[in-house]
Amino acid sequence: MGKRFTTLAGAVALSLTLLNGAANAADPEHGKLVFGQCAGCHMVGDGAQHRFGPSLNAMLDQPAGSATGYDYSAALQKAADEGLVWDVETLDEFLQAPMQSMPGTRMAYPGLNSETDRIDVIAYLSTFTSQAATSAESEQAKSTEVEERPLAADAELPSHGVLHIGREATPDEITAWDIDVRPDGTGLPAGSGSAIDGTDLYDSQCAACHGVFGEGEGRWPILAGGLDTLTEERPEKTIGSYWPYLSTVYDYVRRAMPFGNARSLSDDDVYAITAYLLYLNDLVDEDFVLSSENFSEIRLPNENNFIEDDRALEPAFVAIAEPCMSDCIEGEAKITQRARILDVTPDAE
Amino acid sequence: MMKKDNFQPARRRWLKRSLTVGGAAAGVATGATALASGSESLITEVQDWNRYLGDGVDANPYGMPSKFEGEAIRRDVAWLTADAKSSVNFTPLHKLEGIITPNGLCFERHHGGIAQIAPEDHRFMINGLVDTPLVFTMEDLKRFPRHNRTYFLECAANSGMEWRGAQLNGCQFTHGMVHNVMYTGVMLKDILAEAGVKASGKWLLPEGADPSHMTRSIPIEKAMDDCMVVFAMNGEALRPEQGYPLRLVVPGWEGNMWVKWLRRIEIGDQPWHHREETSKYTDLLADGRARRFTWTMDIKSVITNPSPQAPINHGRGRTVLSGLAWSGHGTVSRVDVSIDGGRNWHTARIDGPSLSKSVHRFYYEFDWDGRELFLQSRAIDEKRHIQPTKQALREARGENSIYHNNAIQTWYIAKDGTAENVEIS
Repeated sequence: MGKRFTTLAGAVALSLTLLNGAANAADPEHGKLVFGQCAGCHMVGDGAQHRFGPSLNAMLDQPAGSATGYDYSAALQKAADEGLVWDVETLDEFLQAPMQSMPGTRMAYPGLNSETDRIDVIAYLSTFTSQAATSAESEQAKSTEVEERPLAADAELPSHGVLHIGREATPDEITAWDIDVRPDGTGLPAGSGSAIDGTDLYDSQCAACHGVFGEGEGRWPILAGGLDTLTEERPEKTIGSYWPYLSTVYDYVRRAMPFGNARSLSDDDVYAITAYLLYLNDLVDEDFVLSSENFSEIRLPNENNFIEDDRALEPAFVAIAEPCMSDCIEGEAKITQRARILDVTPDAE
Repeated sequence: MMKKDNFQPARRRWLKRSLTVGGAAAGVATGATALASGSESLITEVQDWNRYLGDGVDANPYGMPSKFEGEAIRRDVAWLTADAKSSVNFTPLHKLEGIITPNGLCFERHHGGIAQIAPEDHRFMINGLVDTPLVFTMEDLKRFPRHNRTYFLECAANSGMEWRGAQLNGCQFTHGMVHNVMYTGVMLKDILAEAGVKASGKWLLPEGADPSHMTRSIPIEKAMDDCMVVFAMNGEALRPEQGYPLRLVVPGWEGNMWVKWLRRIEIGDQPWHHREETSKYTDLLADGRARRFTWTMDIKSVITNPSPQAPINHGRGRTVLSGLAWSGHGTVSRVDVSIDGGRNWHTARIDGPSLSKSVHRFYYEFDWDGRELFLQSRAIDEKRHIQPTKQALREARGENSIYHNNAIQTWYIAKDGTAENVEIS
C-alpha cells in the first residue's frame, strides 16, 4: 500500500492522503493531542531537547538515528546503518508496534492501534519538519448569517432546586464521569486481572517512568520497596511502605495513568496492573488474581500509621500570652548554615 | 520580551551596578552619567523618550508590563520534579507590592499540563447523595448570586525544601508557592442547594477535567461555610494555568484542594482517600506515623525586601523593610520584625486591607548603620497563633514532613548589602 505525502505550496497546512480506499485528510491538530502520549519522553518545537527519547524536530524524510547528541539503542543504530529512513510509511509501520517492529528499541511503548491516530501524529510531526510551519492554525470563517433566537418566554423552567438553574444529569453522563473508588470498595467496576497479565502491561505502559521494578526513573515516583524506611533520613514512600489503601492505586491508575494517555486502560487492565504492583511490593504471589470480589480483603501494611490532624497540640501552637519582644536570646546570632553553600538555587542559564 | 535568563545572582548584579553608577545616585538606570558639576545628564540633557513619539494605542491590545520589568517573572526549580507537565514554578514575591498578585505572576502547579477548555464545551456536574443530580453550563453558573472575595492560595509544600536546612537562595523559591487574588464566582452552598444534599451527605469530592482528573475529599462543613466556585480572578477570566474556565476556592486550606478545571463534585458519606490525600499531602512525622487531612495553612510571614534576590543597594541610612503575612485561620493581627536574629523585636506596620485568609502587607522602616543584619519576621493571627521557629517545628515533627512548614525565615544581610538564606544559632 502506498501513501502520498504532499506539502501544499504556499500554505502551512499539510495534507496527508491515504490511497487505500477512503481518502482521509490527516489532521495535525488531532495528531497534537495524540502526541500527548509521546510527550513524556519526546520534545518537539522551539527549544526541544533530547529527553528519555530524542527530540523529534525535522525527523521526517531523514535517516533514522540522525539526531545529534542522542544516544540511540543498538537496535535503532543497526537499522540506521542498514539505511532506514523515517518517512510516512516506515514511521507508520514502526508506530503500530515499536517493540515488535524493532526488537531492542528503547521505546517501551506498546503502539498506536488506530491508523488515523498514527497518520495524524505523523502529520503533526511533519509540521516541525519545516521551521515555518509550527503554528498551523487555520481560521475557520464564521458564518455571518443572523441566527434566529428563541423567545425567552418559551424557555422551559426546570422544577428542581431553589433557583431552577441547570438540568438533570442523565444516568449515562454520571456513569461516564463517576469513576471514583473508596477504600471499602465502593465504586469498583466488575472485573479482574492477574499479576501475570499485569507484567506485560506494566512493562509497556509504566516502566519507562516508574522503572522495571517500580524503583522510579529519574525523579518519577517510586512505587515499590522502601519497607521500614519511614523513620530514616530519606524515607521511600511507596505503595508497600506508605500508602494506606489499595483502592487509591486502582482509582489513580484508572483516572490518571499512563501519564499522557489517561483513561486508555480497560477496567481489567487496571486490575492487572494493580495486582502486579502488589507483586512488586512482595505483598502477593506471582499467580495472584485481583478482582472486584477479593479486592477489599487486601490490606496495605501502613494503613494504621495515619493519624488525624493534631497540630493544635504541638507546643508551638499553644498560644503564648505575649511573645518575647526584647533580649529574647542570649549572645549574638551566628550563622550555622548557608543556602549559598548548598548552592541549589536556579541561576542564569 | 521577558526571558528567564534575565535573572542574575544578587552578587553579580550588585557588582554590575557598582561599576555603572558610583556614589549616592545608585539606581538601575544604565544611561546615567554623572558630570563633573555633580549634575546628572539624565536631567541636563534631553533624552530620547522626551523627544520621540512612543507607540500609539493598540501596540499591545492586551497590555504587557514595562520591558524594564523583565525580572518580575515566575521561575521554576528544574531539579525538583520529573517533568514540566507535572511540576511547579514560583511567584516572584520580591517583585510584588501591596497584597494582590498579578494574574501572570501567580505560581503554577499542574499534574497533567494545562488543559485548554472552551467555555461552551465545559460542563459542571453535581452527583452522589443529592435529590437531583445536575449538570450546569458556564452560562448557568453565572446566574447564581455572584461574590467577590480576596484569598491567598498557598501550596502545602511551600517552604518544603527548607525542612532540613537553608537550601534555596531567594524568597521566590523558599516562599513563592503562594498568591493572593480577588475571585469572582458563586458560593458552592448555593449550587448544592439546587441539587439538594441528602442528610447522609458528609463529604465532597471535587474533580478536575484535566488529564490528572485531580480529586480531593472535603468535609461538607467547609463547603457550606466559605467555598466558592469561581470563573474570574482579579477582574478577568481565570488564566488557563489557574483552571480556566472554572476552579474551586477553598479559603485558608492547602492549595491542592482548590481543584482547577473543575468539572464535577460528588457528595458522599465518607472520604475517598485518593492519591493526593494519602501518598501525597500527608505529613510524615519523626516516629514514622503520618498526619492526614491537615487542611489549614498556618500563620506565616516572610520578608520580601530585602532578600537574596533584592539586596540593599543604597548603602547605610534609611531602609524600608517589607514583607507578606497570611493565615488560614483568619486575619493577621500583628507582625513583629527583628534585625538581630530574634534577640529584639519591633512591631511592623500593616498597610492595606486586612482581610480574612488574605495576604497582609507589612513594613518596618529603620536606619541601617551598615553592620551585618539577621532579618526575621514573626506573624500572629486573630486566633492568637504565633508563627513558630524552625527549631520548634523540627522538635515537634522531625524533618520529613515536606508539607506545612510555616517557620520563621532568616535573611543574613552582609556589610555590602547582599542578602542570603541562612540558619542561625
